[in-house]
Amino acid sequence: MPHILFIDSNEAEIEAPFTSGDTLLHAAQHAGVEGILAECGGGCSCATCHVMLNTSWDGQLDPPSDQEADMLTFAVEPTPHSRLACQVILTDAHDGLRVQVAKRQY
Amino acid sequence: MRLAVIGAGQAACTLIAELVRGDFAGTILVFNGEGTHPYQRPPLSKTPLEQSLALDKTRLLPAKLAEDPRIQWIDAAVQSITPETGEVRTASDGVTVDHIILATGTRAVRPEIDGLDPNMLHVMRTWDDRIRLETAMQHARHVAIVGAGFMAFELAASLSGNDRTIHILARGSRALPQVSAESALFLTARSQAIVLTDCSVSSYDRATSTLHTSQGPVTADCIIATVGTTPNVELLLAHGLADPDGVPVDPLMQTPHPRVSAIGEVCRHMHPSIGRTARIESISEANDTATTLAKRLLGTPTPFQAIPWFWSDQGEHKLQIAGLSERSDKATVLQADDRRHVVARHHNGRVTSIEAINAATEFMAARRLFEQGAIPLDPLLDSGSVMALLQSSKS
Ligand SMILES: Cc1cc2nc3c(=O)[nH]c(=O)nc-3n(C[C@H](O)[C@H](O)[C@H](O)COP(=O)(O)OP(=O)(O)OC[C@H]3O[C@@H](n4cnc5c(N)ncnc54)[C@H](O)[C@@H]3O)c2cc1C
Ligand code: FES
Repeated sequence: MPHILFIDSNEAEIEAPFTSGDTLLHAAQHAGVEGILAECGGGCSCATCHVMLNTSWDGQLDPPSDQEADMLTFAVEPTPHSRLACQVILTDAHDGLRVQVAKRQY
Repeated sequence: MRLAVIGAGQAACTLIAELVRGDFAGTILVFNGEGTHPYQRPPLSKTPLEQSLALDKTRLLPAKLAEDPRIQWIDAAVQSITPETGEVRTASDGVTVDHIILATGTRAVRPEIDGLDPNMLHVMRTWDDRIRLETAMQHARHVAIVGAGFMAFELAASLSGNDRTIHILARGSRALPQVSAESALFLTARSQAIVLTDCSVSSYDRATSTLHTSQGPVTADCIIATVGTTPNVELLLAHGLADPDGVPVDPLMQTPHPRVSAIGEVCRHMHPSIGRTARIESISEANDTATTLAKRLLGTPTPFQAIPWFWSDQGEHKLQIAGLSERSDKATVLQADDRRHVVARHHNGRVTSIEAINAATEFMAARRLFEQGAIPLDPLLDSGSVMALLQSSKS
């Protein structure tokens, strides 16, 4: 099974298996990754599922939609590699992706 | 401390998650009245009905959290409580706890329509409702949605395709009365549904699949009612702790009885940001009342002070609302083009809410500004956008 490597808000490394079509949020929650609040449960309306992708993956994921990009400007200290975990849909090509969970969601 | 949480919906699950994260020293008995693990409601009306929604993808509590040893799951509906003794009873059992938390939410109103078998009427509140509607959609070609709020338009967007006709029957003079006429017009113009206003339903004729209404006959082989909800207050009514419109609580989510609290959309309380008491049906309200109660139970009581917010997906259009307005509040359009549409609702020179369609930065900027205090209307009109006003308030 493909997996994502999360570094959660406690700096713990967690391997999260996923199936193609899952969101990054689903994979994180399923594996018990700490630090993602996801208040709106994937509605792209809270920006509390903020994560940062490993830079080497730039260009290998579909870029954020306008809505996601707008919401991200209100995440805590966004970077150019920031994403909302609920908006990233995973495929087998994302096997091995490293994702850092934001230190704070508020 | 032993807690009983009645209901395992949005508010209950946020409370449980916050208590576990806050290292709560006690036991939490959760009474889950539905036959499934706790799930999110918003996707029920937003996911296209041609797709079968997977229950696992809408899980409310991550499995690891749900397995915390402090939590005891009881798969049964509570039938009665006794605040004086802390007794909580299901059909088969009774337990005694130190504190009882009502998180029972609301249920969908099912209107009676003459000639329509109640089993044929759909509503959208629970997982079972979703499965029933998914099944009905395999054959339905003409759908009538009675009621014209957010959920009606969400369902219409989730149903369209497959050459279905969809009617939305609004009882009042316009659809989407929860938002300004301007926002409602923008959204209804982009819906595939045919909206009939001033329309009341009189009867259904099954032989001809016809719904008879004050605006003439409407062909319908599937009827969905989205006409509102009733708060699940019955457990507290007998004890004088609730009325038919909810459970009044103080800013710490406590009822007048020291052993009973209430959270989520069943409770009604003072909202400092809008200056009045209200019972609000939204995810933000469920989460914010739950975190307020969690803080109290963890020994750091902090009165409720959150800003209400809401979103609704109508097909590809996302409506986001920060704040809460009365229906009589005025409306001023701040931005309008083919896609973005932003309206400020206001009363006596103060902004009461921002309705942002496909304009997430305006919505988030409004939440930030409301958190800092009241938003006066004139400076907002001068700035032309909520974002610009937020930026000028920072500099
Ligand atoms: C289809 C749909 C779409 C929605 N979309 C949005 C949206 O986009 N944005 C938004 O902000 N809000 C949305 N909402 C509203 C939001 O889901 C609710 O406000 C929220 O779920 C309320 O949380 P709650 O915990 O108070 O109630 P619920 O989530 O309803 O949970 C209450 C639970 O208590 C159980 N219960 C009741 N009585 C008993 C008993 N005696 N014993 C045991 N259990 C009992 C019920 O069965 C239920 O499971 C939507 C709601 C629906 C139905
Ligand atoms: S969960 Fe709310 S924006 Fe991702």
